[in-house]
Amino acid sequence: MKRKWYDWRNVYLWLVFLLLYAPIFYLIFYSFNAGTTMTHFTGFSWQHYAELFADTRMIEIVLDTLLIALLSSLLATIIGTLGALAIYGIKKVWLKNSILSLNNILMVSPDVIIGASFLIFFTFLGLRLGFSSVLLSHIAFSIPIVVLMVLPKLSEMNHSLIDAATDLGATNLQVLTRVVFPFITPGILTGFFMAFTYSLDDFAVTFFVTGNGFETLSVEIYARARQGISLEVNALSALMFLFSLLLIGGYYFIEQYNSSKKERRRNRMEAKLIK
Amino acid sequence: MKRLISFALAIIAFCALLAVGSSQLQKSQGASSSGTLTLYNWGDYIDPALLTKFQKQTGYKVQVETFDSNEAMFTKIQQGGTNYDLAVPSDYMIQKMHKAHLLVPLNYKRLHGFNHIDPHFRDQSFDPGNRYSVPYFWGTLGIIYNDQMVKASAVQHWRDLWSPKLRNNIMLVDSARDIMGMALITQGHSVNTTNVAQLEQAKLKLEGLMPNVKAVVADEIKMYMAQNEAAVAVTWSGEAAEMMANNSHLHYVVPTEGSNLWFDNLVIPKTAKHYKAIYAFLNFMLKPENAAQNAEYVGYATPNKAAKALLPKAVATDKQFYPSDSVINKLQVYADLGNRMVGIYNDKFLEFKMYHR
Repeated sequence: MKRKWYDWRNVYLWLVFLLLYAPIFYLIFYSFNAGTTMTHFTGFSWQHYAELFADTRMIEIVLDTLLIALLSSLLATIIGTLGALAIYGIKKVWLKNSILSLNNILMVSPDVIIGASFLIFFTFLGLRLGFSSVLLSHIAFSIPIVVLMVLPKLSEMNHSLIDAATDLGATNLQVLTRVVFPFITPGILTGFFMAFTYSLDDFAVTFFVTGNGFETLSVEIYARARQGISLEVNALSALMFLFSLLLIGGYYFIEQYNSSKKERRRNRMEAKLIK
Repeated sequence: MKRLISFALAIIAFCALLAVGSSQLQKSQGASSSGTLTLYNWGDYIDPALLTKFQKQTGYKVQVETFDSNEAMFTKIQQGGTNYDLAVPSDYMIQKMHKAHLLVPLNYKRLHGFNHIDPHFRDQSFDPGNRYSVPYFWGTLGIIYNDQMVKASAVQHWRDLWSPKLRNNIMLVDSARDIMGMALITQGHSVNTTNVAQLEQAKLKLEGLMPNVKAVVADEIKMYMAQNEAAVAVTWSGEAAEMMANNSHLHYVVPTEGSNLWFDNLVIPKTAKHYKAIYAFLNFMLKPENAAQNAEYVGYATPNKAAKALLPKAVATDKQFYPSDSVINKLQVYADLGNRMVGIYNDKFLEFKMYHR
């Protein structure tokens, strides 16, 4: 049966996408408003973008936010991957399950509680609130996410692969770097990007642990919202949306390129074998 | 593995780039650790041009950090780990902070220009003798109405809101103290009453208002009123000023029988360190020309009498935002009633909101 162009499944799909994206495009549309509110579009202008680039504090906060997100997700990915390896290696079932449960509890416990406990903990230690406190807390709440992303990949891996490698005389380190890591790389990357997005848009935890002149984007925008959100924030949102679009697009093309390269290599090898 | 390592290296390189960029920006703003003053303020509540002017005059850089509620600010200052030199709490919160021993008394020998503050706004119940606080901005609770939908003469007093003509046409701001206070004033009681019977009466009075209430909303009230969604709303003067900027048919009234008078005030929290910079800043902000400039930027009413004289005539004589002395004398400031009493206010307000018409 030939599919009609308006297949109901497609209609449903597009409807959902429309609902998800409409608010974002609405926001972006008004970032070009010559007026100052989101209620009437009075004309096209770049003025809110000009305001945004003149606002050095805002730009500084954007850079800091990206820095925190990248650095915390990188460190969390390293720690979380090693943690997932350790959990994978545990033989006792009850111990493995209890550690996994502890990991999951951190995932589901409300951000506000995590944030408040970090604040109390950091001040108890006498740590100055600021860059380091935000970084540490972001690493801490990102680790469980990374563990959850990497662990299924490890369980998916055929254990005979490791046995075969050791059988062929590979050292433990070689097994890890040549066999295990290449296999779980997709899991690690997913973990990294999940951690990155979590860190980028976290508000509740960050709100408690910022201080001494250091702030992230979500906290700043929330504080500014008291006077009604200025369209400068719309302009920033539009740029961030464009940035993530480029990031996703770039990632997709790199993947595409890599897999096609692999494909070509495999084809060449096969051609050689046939000869 | 190679791929992962190069990925990680790329991220680290990017991080380094970001760190350099951010520190460059900080330098361009003239940050230096020695002469920095940290101001803990509401979002967008000071003219940034004044901060650069202050830095040029005194050499101290002002770092502004922002909060969105008195309670959040209280928690962060109480918890410590921060070095806020000045904070801007509202009236009842000053009392609460004082009780929690979080405030440093002002040294009047180092403070110049306090005499510019209008005597009406000095020596309030939340801080007798202004031992701890310098008034920063003030405002009222009032009625905002749309002259296309309702006549001005029909909404001059709180009791007018109960008129059957306003059926399903009133929006209330979602704030227990304010709406309960409105009902209390209508019945001739104090907004700080601790008499539970009076509160119960106020609740019953409010339930009678229900047929007229279209919605009990928070910040959205600004947008709704600007879009002609309702004829009348009860809200604060600062919010009203913003709505009026977006819709010329809106007008604000402070009922003459009384209303709430609220203050935001500069205080020195326990976490303060840079006292020289603090007094330089307080004296700078008390100067009439600076206070006037700030009032024009923020759009709230300044308690600085000399600054008010410098404002454009149309602003300074606007009865909506600078009501006459006879009205001001009837205004009441909220006192900190303690957790138990605040709980009762909140419960009564909740009962009202759940009331089925």
